[in-house]
Amino acid sequence: ENREAMLNSKSNRLTEALEEANKLFDGVCRAREAALDAQFLVIASNIGKEKANELHSEMSAFDSTAFAEDLLTFMGINRTEVEETDDSEDVPGGFLPSDAWQTMGEEAPKYFRRAPTFHYMMGSFKSEPPVPKQRIERQKKANRGKAERAMPAQLKKMEESHQEATEKEVERILRILQTHFENDPNTPISFFDFVIDPNSFAHTVENMFHVSFLIRDGLAKIKLDEDELPIIEPTKPSGRREEDSRAGARNQVIISLDQREWK
Amino acid sequence: QVSELVQFLLVKDQKKMPIKRTEMLKNVIHSTAAYSEIVNRAGRTLQEVFGLQLVEIDTKRHTYILINNLPRAEGQYLCRDKEKEKMGLLLVILSFIFMKGNSVKDSALWEFLNLLRVYPGKQHRVFGDVRKLVTDEFARQKYLEITPIPLTDPTEFKYQWGPRAEKETSRKDVLKFVAKVR
Repeated sequence: ENREAMLNSKSNRLTEALEEANKLFDGVCRAREAALDAQFLVIASNIGKEKANELHSEMSAFDSTAFAEDLLTFMGINRTEVEETDDSEDVPGGFLPSDAWQTMGEEAPKYFRRAPTFHYMMGSFKSEPPVPKQRIERQKKANRGKAERAMPAQLKKMEESHQEATEKEVERILRILQTHFENDPNTPISFFDFVIDPNSFAHTVENMFHVSFLIRDGLAKIKLDEDELPIIEPTKPSGRREEDSRAGARNQVIISLDQREWK
Repeated sequence: QVSELVQFLLVKDQKKMPIKRTEMLKNVIHSTAAYSEIVNRAGRTLQEVFGLQLVEIDTKRHTYILINNLPRAEGQYLCRDKEKEKMGLLLVILSFIFMKGNSVKDSALWEFLNLLRVYPGKQHRVFGDVRKLVTDEFARQKYLEITPIPLTDPTEFKYQWGPRAEKETSRKDVLKFVAKVR
């Protein structure tokens, strides 16, 4: 409080306050009061320091107003014309040109050892690489397009062949069966003779697999003959249709065959 | 790695904000053991190749700035007008602070700047938001050191020369400027 009043070098307010505090301290008997007193002393010493500062600057010959005027002169103020602005009235009159601070700016760097701002001479690297990159990208895209097209084609082919393979095999076996039967119409073929491949167990299994398709589709029949051995014969086309309409008797035959038996 | 650090420092210095050791470790060096050796070598390169000095302005927090070690060249400077004008304002502020005993209250500073038609509340034709320029940009670049005055309410601040100002110029030079203007 009353800071400004105390700062005034002409006043003794600060001294008076200190003396009063001294007197009051005699009456202190609580710690809290002593703390307040200490706080007061801190503030008082701060004010005292400021006062000392003010004193110093008043004794020096530096007059900031005069300095400001000199700066304005340096910046090229024209005091004959009066600037029409709504500035407050304590601003000195005169017209400050628009390049005032530029004038100052010309003078100022001479006093600073400032590192020049670093700039890349070539700018950021954008000039060349993009062009070849685009070409490369276009080529790559073209290649990829072809490759992709090739791939689905290939895949499709594979899938087709996969399916085809089985179907083809089945058809092939059917044809073989039919051919045999044509040659020998009334003798069904022994199942085992038909499917077993003496050289390859795997192939035998495959043959059985294909034959099962024929059976499933009703294109061939398996029956048991007099010796309880399975025989296979192709079904006649007409006969097949009849059977279908009858929701017919389709027997299932489960055959187990392992390598030893096969041998 | 030394040349990487040199480039890093040069780019970082563009805005004139001090460079922290943590930034150097994170982006370039990656090893605290080799740190001081690399920094020393980078400093030598900067001095020999560019004539720039790498100065540590805060030994506790390890922040650095780059200053120009070459003697000042005569003639016109090629740098942009905006930067030069800011330096003009800075020079004026620094000389004021110096002549007022190296430390001024913010109220005193703005009172002085008002005389030069520079107002904290008003958008300046050249500087724009002057208050921000002075209290924010100049302070963060370490040209000015702004500290609050204790036990003031509302808080008042005192303005002093910042470490970058101390390195980039001298009181003798500023005095020459003041004398020149008179």
